[in-house]
Amino acid sequence: MIAQIALTALLFAILLYAWIEYPRSPAVGMFAWLAALGGLYFVWVPSHATRLAELVGIGRGVDLIIYIWVGISLLVLLNLHLKLRAQMELITVLAREIAIANARASRANGE
Amino acid sequence: MQPIPGRSVWVVIAAYNEATVIAAVIADLKSAGYRVAVVDDGSADATARTAAEAGAAVVRHPINLGQGAGLQTGIEFALLAGADVIVTFDGDGQHRATDIPGLIDALDAQGADFVLGSRFLGASLNQPLSRRLTLKAATWFTRVTTGLRITDTHNGLRAMTRRGASRIRLRQNRMAHASEILHQIADSGLKYVEAPVTIEYSAYSLSKGQTLGDSLMILTDLFARRLQR
Repeated sequence: MIAQIALTALLFAILLYAWIEYPRSPAVGMFAWLAALGGLYFVWVPSHATRLAELVGIGRGVDLIIYIWVGISLLVLLNLHLKLRAQMELITVLAREIAIANARASRANGE
Repeated sequence: MQPIPGRSVWVVIAAYNEATVIAAVIADLKSAGYRVAVVDDGSADATARTAAEAGAAVVRHPINLGQGAGLQTGIEFALLAGADVIVTFDGDGQHRATDIPGLIDALDAQGADFVLGSRFLGASLNQPLSRRLTLKAATWFTRVTTGLRITDTHNGLRAMTRRGASRIRLRQNRMAHASEILHQIADSGLKYVEAPVTIEYSAYSLSKGQTLGDSLMILTDLFARRLQR
């Protein structure tokens, strides 16, 4: 029961994260949201997790939940990568503005 | 053919650590009468000083951002400088200034906003087989993903009208910009044509060229771009 509550809290945190991220990267937000919902369902209905796990050849329901967790972690990593790219785009815009302003000032001064 | 008097043709070069070759490239372009903008992409060598001494307008990125970022900077600079036609050109000496009139003629004669240089309609000198095969595969991929009927891809020699250049917003800082620009041309709905050009590979240009690993990085960048807003 304690593990179920802890996992539920973590998965709710992922749901919140997915909701916040959706406007910036809809694909990651949507996948994380679906994975977290799936995880919540299987945490509270473990018999279905075991049945589905057997169906897809994983063995135990607990393992299935771990796999879902790994999947969520990878999505979070992907999202971090996308955030870094977005930061780089902002840096690029800033660097471009500075570079062009300096070049135009140099030309205006006849350098 | 010399540039048409009264029309402002800017050649944009994104350069990173090209101090050994950039002066000769600029000299060729200047002797043909073109205005040249070199975007020094945070080079560690004397690229910016050499380019300025050779007569180019130099725009310096404070940090290294990548060729795609350099080209977008150069395009924006040329537009602000009043360019009517913008030509993108590599700084490593593999392009020929004598191909530019053909590109501009194609813009005028066919009423296009973009002319894409094609080494497969023209010539590739000293091109390794592995490079040829990689380019063929990349061209096929580009045709499938953009719908453009092109014979070459990732060829940095292109010309565009002011209207065409205004529609380009490169957000891929690195090499994937060459695919991104084709997607943007396709999305713009503006007319594009191809024109034959000659690419002359040298040991120097090959050492700065793309590897198979770069091709995988390009695919990753394009995929990541799709996931972002």
